[in-house]
Amino acid sequence: MSVSWKKGSFAAVLAASTALTSATWAQDVKTITIATHYNEEQMAPLTECFRAYETGHPGIKIVFQQAAYGDFLQTILTSRVGGTSPDIYNIYSIWAPQLAAAGTLATPPAEIQDWIKGAYGAGTVGAATINGTLWGIPTELSVYDLIYNKKLLAAAGFNAPPKTWDELHDMAAKITKKNDQGVIETAGYVYGPTVSNAVHVFYSQMYAAGVSPYTEDGKGTNFTSPEAIKILERQAALFSDGITSNTNVVDDMAGGKAGMAIMANWNKSDFVSAFGDEFENTIGVAPVPNDGGAPGTMLYSFFWAVDSTSKAQAESWELLKWLDTPQDGKPLSCTGDMLNKLGALSGNISDLAAMDVKDSFTVPFVEAVQSGAAKSQPNTWQASENERTLRGYIEQVWAGTMSAPDAMAAADAEITAVLAEQP
Amino acid sequence: MSKRNRPRRASLIGWLGSKQVAPWIFLAPTLAFAVVFFLLPLVYAFYISFTKWDSLTPPKWVGLDNYKYILTVDPVFWKTFGNTLYFAFGSIALGVPLAVGLAYAFSKSRWQGLWRSIYWLPMITNVVAVAYIWYFVLDDRFGLMNRTLGLFGLGAPGWLTNPKIAMTSVILIFVWMQLGQNMLLFSAGLSDIDESYYEAARLDGASEGQVFFKITLPLLMPTTLFVLITNFIAGLSYFALMLALSDGTGGPMRSTTVTGLYMYQVAFSDLRIGRASAMAYVLAAVILVITLAQLRLFRRGGVEAY
Repeated sequence: MSVSWKKGSFAAVLAASTALTSATWAQDVKTITIATHYNEEQMAPLTECFRAYETGHPGIKIVFQQAAYGDFLQTILTSRVGGTSPDIYNIYSIWAPQLAAAGTLATPPAEIQDWIKGAYGAGTVGAATINGTLWGIPTELSVYDLIYNKKLLAAAGFNAPPKTWDELHDMAAKITKKNDQGVIETAGYVYGPTVSNAVHVFYSQMYAAGVSPYTEDGKGTNFTSPEAIKILERQAALFSDGITSNTNVVDDMAGGKAGMAIMANWNKSDFVSAFGDEFENTIGVAPVPNDGGAPGTMLYSFFWAVDSTSKAQAESWELLKWLDTPQDGKPLSCTGDMLNKLGALSGNISDLAAMDVKDSFTVPFVEAVQSGAAKSQPNTWQASENERTLRGYIEQVWAGTMSAPDAMAAADAEITAVLAEQP
Repeated sequence: MSKRNRPRRASLIGWLGSKQVAPWIFLAPTLAFAVVFFLLPLVYAFYISFTKWDSLTPPKWVGLDNYKYILTVDPVFWKTFGNTLYFAFGSIALGVPLAVGLAYAFSKSRWQGLWRSIYWLPMITNVVAVAYIWYFVLDDRFGLMNRTLGLFGLGAPGWLTNPKIAMTSVILIFVWMQLGQNMLLFSAGLSDIDESYYEAARLDGASEGQVFFKITLPLLMPTTLFVLITNFIAGLSYFALMLALSDGTGGPMRSTTVTGLYMYQVAFSDLRIGRASAMAYVLAAVILVITLAQLRLFRRGGVEAY
């Protein structure tokens, strides 16, 4: 046997064995891709958990994909069309009806469903449920309450937040200050330019008035109810009485230029950055004002969902359960730890109990979740489109170009027609 | 290779190199690009405009339903259409005469290159950066514009927060952005006009105004036609500035929602790709009609010059 033949044989055997090993490895290792709107820095605690999971499960490789919140739905669509869908998504609950109807989402196995129902609060499970079907594991909760600037209220002679909307109106009027050009420099109350700045506030006030924005079957609205009309007329009065304007927005709260606003708890980090050590002495939280009766407000949720075309569905659900269950005697689950570091709330009962939520800002939000006062944003058909439509009509009432009853009748007609499209 | 195959190969090479075939071979990459990225999407979008499609499930044929909804039911479409026309006509009515005037003035001045460079700068600035800067300049409370007005005891308009004037503010910013490009085009047009026309007119005793209106403007007609058509097409389909200035909302009160922006929201936020495609075709039809009208209107001196 010549030397060159020997070398050739050795090379061939080496190449074949390498190829075989690679093929075997490729067969044994399953890659699970997780897409979220959180960036790498925010995801750091979870990424650490991914590596730990991979160590304990040698057959699993976890890849993280980030898509900006505004582009998240488009990213899902594009990846589906291109056949490169992630296995796991962290989705905003109102996107779920269309995604579920299109067969994009996989339903959790029965044992995972039982675990979710036991480990999560009823309100948050509702956020991941459409027409009685549970589609995923709730993650981040955002709850609305009245946020107020204690110092501005005190300077106007008030030492407690308003309990009713009439009180709010009077207090806001006293806080409002205009500059020499007649522009409101410090507003008593503020809204904002985004859809949620108007619509989520409106929904929160409807829940506080004891009325759900939508009918129970999700096919109609309660926008023409006397409560909804009254809420909108009172909002419009803030504009017509010069207490607020389009110039004055929710960002002014962190700038110390706004007295009150109905906002979500995730704004906490902005307030902490803006006010530093004075944060708790400056910012207060109270229930959404109503006309008496039980408190109420709105919450919305994100949830983990698994793609129906994923080749690793069982492994994905197993991974998600692991990520959402405390490991190695730690008080928080991996997801809970990440949310805690973000200053967000979790829908997981044990995570919520173990989270750092004892400060005066967070306690009212947690109470609203635990007491059941915070109701899930309804997962209605074409929710984003409907909310944009509703914002359009609410703005017309604020500007005085439409009366509240006319605007709500028009919104009801348009949105009911869209809701009727639901398969 | 057998000897019998040689003549066949030679004739194939000859055929490929012939005047009838060779140009098509060289054009093939460009044509393939145009077919894949322009023609096929156009045809597919036309088909999609007759369907209900959310991009997740197969398209469902609905005939003319999307067109009927847009033209007869949708209360927002016509508002956005009005905004689009206001934006396109407004930016031209303001921007084109200004560009002609500046180009004419700079053609008579020293340091032409410097002036052109200064006015060209906004064109090479990212639209988001432009929006960001103007957002602060036009801020109601703390913006440079209203603070300056305040020094003269004047009021403070809500440039971007008052629905009655928000679109006008967008037009002003857009004109500022586009001015350099239009001015350069008119400068090129002006340099093409033979100096002898001016000399003859002045010898005949024509005033500067007469020279401008009777000689410069008519001879600039081909450039004017080009600027008008390209500006109209750009104006009718433009929405980047509105998107950046209004946080993507097209507000306040949809006052800066143009059809392009609405189409984007309908397609990618509402997942109504069929309806958005129908809107795109309605808008394309309007652009076609307006362009044809312009070509007809400027036939003399404009179209004939090409």
